[in-house]
Amino acid sequence: MKTDQTKVLIKKMQSVIALILIFIVASVICVQDGKNVFLDARNLMNVLRAVSENGIIAIGMTMILILGDIDLSVGSVVGLVSTGCAALMVWNGLGFIPAVLASLLIGAAFGFFNGICITKLKLQAFIVTLASMNIARGLARFWANGVGIPLTYGKGEGLAPPQFEVLQMRINGLIPVPAIIFLILLLIFHFIMTRTRFGRQLYAIGGNRQASYLAGINVDRIKLFTFMLCSMLASVAAMIHAAQISQGGPNEGSGYELNAVAACAIGGTSLAGGKGTMLGTLIGALILGMLDNVLGLKGVNSNLQLMVKGFLIIIAVFMQAERKE
Amino acid sequence: MSEVVVKMEGISKSFAGIKALDHVQIELCKGEVHALMGENGAGKSTLMKIMTGVYTKDEGFMYLRDEINGEMRQIEIKSPLMAQKLGLSMVFQELNLLENMNIGENIFIGREPVGTATMIDKKVLNEKAKKELEKVKLDINPSTSVSSLSCGQKQCVEIAKALSFDARVVVFDEPTASLSETESRTLFEIIRELRNKGVCIVYISHRMEEVFELSDRITVFRNGTYIDTVETSKVSEADLIKMMIGRDLEEGKKKGSAYINKQKTVLSVRNVTIFPNSSPISFELHEKEILGFFGLVGAGRTELSRAIFGIDPIGEGEIYIQGSKVHINCPRDAMDVGIGLVPEDRKGLGLILGMSIKDNMLLSKLGQLKSRILNKKVLKEITGTYIDDLGIVLRDENQEVKELSGGNQQKVVIAKWLAMTPDILILDEPTRGIDVGAKSEIYTLMRKLTEAGKSIIMISSEMAEIQKVSDRVIVMHEGNITGELSIEEATKNSIMQAAFGGIKA
Repeated sequence: MKTDQTKVLIKKMQSVIALILIFIVASVICVQDGKNVFLDARNLMNVLRAVSENGIIAIGMTMILILGDIDLSVGSVVGLVSTGCAALMVWNGLGFIPAVLASLLIGAAFGFFNGICITKLKLQAFIVTLASMNIARGLARFWANGVGIPLTYGKGEGLAPPQFEVLQMRINGLIPVPAIIFLILLLIFHFIMTRTRFGRQLYAIGGNRQASYLAGINVDRIKLFTFMLCSMLASVAAMIHAAQISQGGPNEGSGYELNAVAACAIGGTSLAGGKGTMLGTLIGALILGMLDNVLGLKGVNSNLQLMVKGFLIIIAVFMQAERKE
Repeated sequence: MSEVVVKMEGISKSFAGIKALDHVQIELCKGEVHALMGENGAGKSTLMKIMTGVYTKDEGFMYLRDEINGEMRQIEIKSPLMAQKLGLSMVFQELNLLENMNIGENIFIGREPVGTATMIDKKVLNEKAKKELEKVKLDINPSTSVSSLSCGQKQCVEIAKALSFDARVVVFDEPTASLSETESRTLFEIIRELRNKGVCIVYISHRMEEVFELSDRITVFRNGTYIDTVETSKVSEADLIKMMIGRDLEEGKKKGSAYINKQKTVLSVRNVTIFPNSSPISFELHEKEILGFFGLVGAGRTELSRAIFGIDPIGEGEIYIQGSKVHINCPRDAMDVGIGLVPEDRKGLGLILGMSIKDNMLLSKLGQLKSRILNKKVLKEITGTYIDDLGIVLRDENQEVKELSGGNQQKVVIAKWLAMTPDILILDEPTRGIDVGAKSEIYTLMRKLTEAGKSIIMISSEMAEIQKVSDRVIVMHEGNITGELSIEEATKNSIMQAAFGGIKA
């Protein structure tokens, strides 16, 4: 019995164990000229910063996957919103707060569109978001005439409000603001998933949609709301991304949806719905980010990096799969 | 006794450290109907799944009579296909047909006759399938899609599939659970014919009458252990129950209907049309009453409950709660006026199998909570109360609900509805697939609930249950109400007459 419990515990904690293992290995192999380039505070903060965009998107994706759906449009929404908020600030002279609100609104609108197609037209999430992925990308390129909109900060025409630059700053020159935003959002959504009615209903719908409906849960409304949340989280990531690269680019964010799904899957979220946690997603995102960082530090060819990441996903999901005897 | 075909002894099997079978044995003979009985979780299905290669045993030996030299030899079954090739087949409780394929393709899946260039020879396939279908008296074109068949017909296809392997042993797991009376009759005929041809039938069922009608011998399991094998003709129903539960069954004594408040109508349903061609029906439910709905499969009882609960549109029909008209368009509306529904399909509609017991129990309560943020202490009080009140046997309330036995799962579903304190509870087949002990507990619970002021509509296809539990019986036939009987009038005869449409038998 005891060994069974230990086994269960190990299974539960294996993504944490994997994270620690990667951390240890990274700490050992990244010593150059007697200096540990991985364990360097600034480098670790870089990992956090790099993780935050994917992490924020993955928060939304986790909820969508728990519902048993998928949202393929988030990457394109990143492209659209980063373009949109840059255009609104630079071309239309919008201030910081209005630009942020407008960005969130664009995200919400896309989520609403996805949600309505899925709940009211009864289409599959995969197809709907595949379509809206193209719609968002097309709209972004149309808006910006296909080119990036550079962000130069200052007051006056053609300049972005200086407050926006905060999104790419570091507190005390060390802790990146995006990482703080990511961690705060993660905590909020962790609370939502574990301690609120809404969270409980998400798990219920993903576990058995029909039974949830019979238990009086308004399945359609919750799905709609979740798709809106997911796209809004993608918008947050989009603004951070625009600030990080100092421009709004219509071609940015491609493939982000799959990175987010990967983080969720590594963190133990089931694509079949009903199972998954925010903390798992955090671990998943950290594993991906750390791996990128280490491979980068070791100067591994970027194409090889991609392959390593691919295999890692397979291994992680294989280890998590509930296997029957 | 004729010759033994299969012998299993000392068989043990554990799932995640829990012993499902503990050194059990069974002997199956040629040309017998061998009933396998026991409460849910007794290990009947597990043993048969080991025999047919679905599970592998942890311990024990299995012997099979060699068809050529007639000697018993030890054998290890490694896969369902291997078992089938050896003539050991099982017709599952949940039918395992591929809905998107036709009958012939289903029967010969994986063994399709091939013609030139390894193309499937459809003509040969259909001819062969037709022959198999004749054996089960199913006169349907083999190229018919399986999805268009009724439950009974699907079962026949399953049987035909089993027989197409020249089955020597066919296991039926609760075969009549989803069959109508006539379909069950046909099934029994097929079973008898198979027996006469020398096939051994293993018949797993909770239904006493069927077991006594069909079987030659009965083997009883209890909690994963072997109790005894007896000849059916030499045993009484009471003896069997005693063997299964290890004690005498406390009969939930019929308390009479003294406390029912006939003056007060809590629910009145008017002019609801169930099927396009049936006439509108109306009925009333009194306070503290258990109103039984009897009917054969397809009588429209489940449809009625779905209409009342707002799952399906109610059309011209009207619903009055405590005398005032209500509009119910979705389950949420029904819950708001105090109606709860325990659906027939426990696993598909009643529970979220991958969720914890605790979370399942709180599901319908969620909408009633004032705060959107959950207070763990309050929730724990609620679940604790119902776990105690209903006597749910569990290891831990965070345990996944799929690990529970059928009876305990049903209690969780009932607890889920009690948690939102409804006045009216609709129970659709509340004891389907539940063992004898848990059944009587559920009956006692229903009594307790009505005494406490709730009113219950119980839909059931089990005559004994209807007679034992209801205060009043409504009988339906093809979407119409064909009889309304007080409990004194509700004899087996009068109920059956009404169930067949009121034609004098």
